[in-house]
Amino acid sequence: MLLLVGLIALVQGVVYVLVSQASQRSAMEHIRQNLGVGARVFQQSLQERIETLSTGARLMAEDYAIKPLLMREPDVATLRSTLYSFTTRVGSDLISLFTAEGDFLASTDPKLRPEELAPFRQLIDTATQSDLERASGYAVLHGQLQVLVVVPLYAPRPQVAAWFGLAYPIDRAFAQKIQEVSQLEVTFLSGAVTEDPRVLATTVAAPGGAELSAAFATATVDAVAADGTTSLVRLAGKPYVTRFEPLPRLDGGPIRIALQRSLTAELAPARALERVVLGIALAALLAASLAAWSLAREVSRPVQALAAHTGRVGRGDYTARITLDREDELGQLATAFNDMTAGLAERDRVRDLLGKVVSPEIAAQLLRSGVALGGEDRVVTILFCDLRNFTGQSERMPPQEALALLNRYLDRMSTIIEAHGGVIDKYIGDAIMALFGAPVPHPHAADQAVATARAMVAALAELNRELAAEGRAPLAFGIGINTAEVVAGNMGSKTRLNYTVIGDGVNLAARLESLTREPIHATSVILSDATVQALSQPAPTRSLGRVTVKGKAESVQIHALD
Amino acid sequence: MRVSRLHAFVLLVLLATRGFGATPGTLSFQIRDTKGAPVADAVVALIPLDAAAPVAAPTPAATPAHEIGQQNEEFQRYVTVVQAGTRVHFPNQDKVQHHLYSLSKAKKFEFALYNPGQAESVVFDVSGTVTLGCNIHDWMVAYLYVLPTPYFAQSGASGDAVITAPPGRYRLELMHPRLPAPLKEELSLAEGAAATRAFSVTLKPDRRIRRAPDPKAGSYR
Repeated sequence: MLLLVGLIALVQGVVYVLVSQASQRSAMEHIRQNLGVGARVFQQSLQERIETLSTGARLMAEDYAIKPLLMREPDVATLRSTLYSFTTRVGSDLISLFTAEGDFLASTDPKLRPEELAPFRQLIDTATQSDLERASGYAVLHGQLQVLVVVPLYAPRPQVAAWFGLAYPIDRAFAQKIQEVSQLEVTFLSGAVTEDPRVLATTVAAPGGAELSAAFATATVDAVAADGTTSLVRLAGKPYVTRFEPLPRLDGGPIRIALQRSLTAELAPARALERVVLGIALAALLAASLAAWSLAREVSRPVQALAAHTGRVGRGDYTARITLDREDELGQLATAFNDMTAGLAERDRVRDLLGKVVSPEIAAQLLRSGVALGGEDRVVTILFCDLRNFTGQSERMPPQEALALLNRYLDRMSTIIEAHGGVIDKYIGDAIMALFGAPVPHPHAADQAVATARAMVAALAELNRELAAEGRAPLAFGIGINTAEVVAGNMGSKTRLNYTVIGDGVNLAARLESLTREPIHATSVILSDATVQALSQPAPTRSLGRVTVKGKAESVQIHALD
Repeated sequence: MRVSRLHAFVLLVLLATRGFGATPGTLSFQIRDTKGAPVADAVVALIPLDAAAPVAAPTPAATPAHEIGQQNEEFQRYVTVVQAGTRVHFPNQDKVQHHLYSLSKAKKFEFALYNPGQAESVVFDVSGTVTLGCNIHDWMVAYLYVLPTPYFAQSGASGDAVITAPPGRYRLELMHPRLPAPLKEELSLAEGAAATRAFSVTLKPDRRIRRAPDPKAGSYR
């Protein structure tokens, strides 16, 4: 779940970054285009200004009064006042008059220095040589960038009698006009590019012109070769996308126009969008986290319940049932779990019952190896125990009581046999046939059988004391024990079978039990010699010599257990 | 630009015998523009370089040729050539006033608000080109070439001109309103010689104002 949430966060982060970058790129591109437009607007505005000045100057040249004035040796004061009267007609504050050869005659500006006349002369020379009807250029007059225009005074056209020189300041007001149209910051710079650029006029609102100049001093260095291209310039700590346009200057040093657009301002709408995107992303992330958390709860809780249930079932508690009130796969799983638990409980009951019907070891063997006919050769110690005269006794009591007594007896004996590792093969009436070393082989099977016999004798004595206390007749039994190789396995039909052992050894054990009835032996437990030989721990036995038993050709050595 | 320089244009035959009685030489000019079209209104002049050569002074009485009238709000002659010292008359033959003026160095003058029927005259005693204009009618322009020599000619529509002059050394000058500066070269004219000189000149575009149609004179479009 964390992974999922992390993944969503990652995707949203990447989207945010991409959106941010894309908007920045788009803003840059937009500004670049705007700057291109701005540059054209600027050039066009200059051209329009030049056109306006030229038109004005042409009308001025056709003036009726100017020719009679030039007819005589011109009076400079009169000429100047004439030019001054022209200023309002033409829209140019600076009007100068030159001869056809370019010699200065008069100007509205009395402070115009001779070197400041040079640009005009340059333009007049250009116009004369190329036979132009006007010429224009840029120069700095009185520390201010100006566009200069010269137009001829024809007398009559096309005879040039004199030249008018007009100037129009490219100042802050002009920059602001450009700004109004193009929405760009406009700055005019003079001086060498690499050293000490001076801001002539600007629309950039900066605390001090000097600082702005310094900012441009560092900025323009990178942009030397980049006229007409855009670069990022920091002014007063704010990024401006800047385009430098060169202006050819008549009087020396380069002039540069910086067209700028604040990246911050351009990005403002995009930033707002980014904030919205960020907000949506965070909200989505939160929602995803909540969804993931609730999903985790939905899934992990029942899974944990199922795990706990499985643990209980594993420990053998089949009573528990899991209840999940849901229709989905987990609900089905819970139902399956319950069914499985029920199945397990059923099997356990069957196994328990099996253990009661047959001995637990046989039941285990059956469950382990499956139920199949056939057997294997085994050395087994067989214990036969039979109550004496129980039939006679039982005839003198009600059958229920006889059965109860028998069960009481068998229960005691069976407990002892099983406690000693023996396996009840079967009950034959009041007789018990028990096996040691089968179905599970045991190295001390004979010892176990002997110990069992002793315990049984002791248990019978105890039972008899109880019976005596109840005022009932005591019981007596005989035990025969033999160790022999027999066939052990499942015998019977395919539908009903028993685990048992078959062989001569079994019969001998039964015969030995029968021998205990003979008073000569004076014992209730008789062991075959094979059993005695098989003992790993010697037991207190007493040899009874050799006897021939029924069905046996050879006599066998037998021992009494005292 | 200057006209192709005269390489071998040397008119030499016999050394000119000085003074009266010498047979004058004749110089024919073929003036063409760069496309080979004849150039009208070109002025050629031979200015004597020999100090002793007599230059006849113009007669004080004006001949009819020395008249630049104004008619139909135009100068009657676009180009006029006179010898220095010649009086030229400017009769206003129009129904409207004119305001003739010249701001040329050779002669500055004006006839301010000059009435119809008036016929003012000016003696042009300084050599040079006088550009005449009218302060009322911007399109009116005329050129008066004032020359320090009686040996000159003006090309007609054919672009040809002929000068007859006594033998001697001369500076040949070729002028035209659309030439930035006169073309000059020196030559000697032999007695009784008859030579032809071809010029190919590069003229500036004709910058004369095209006269706006007079609404009274013409029909509505």
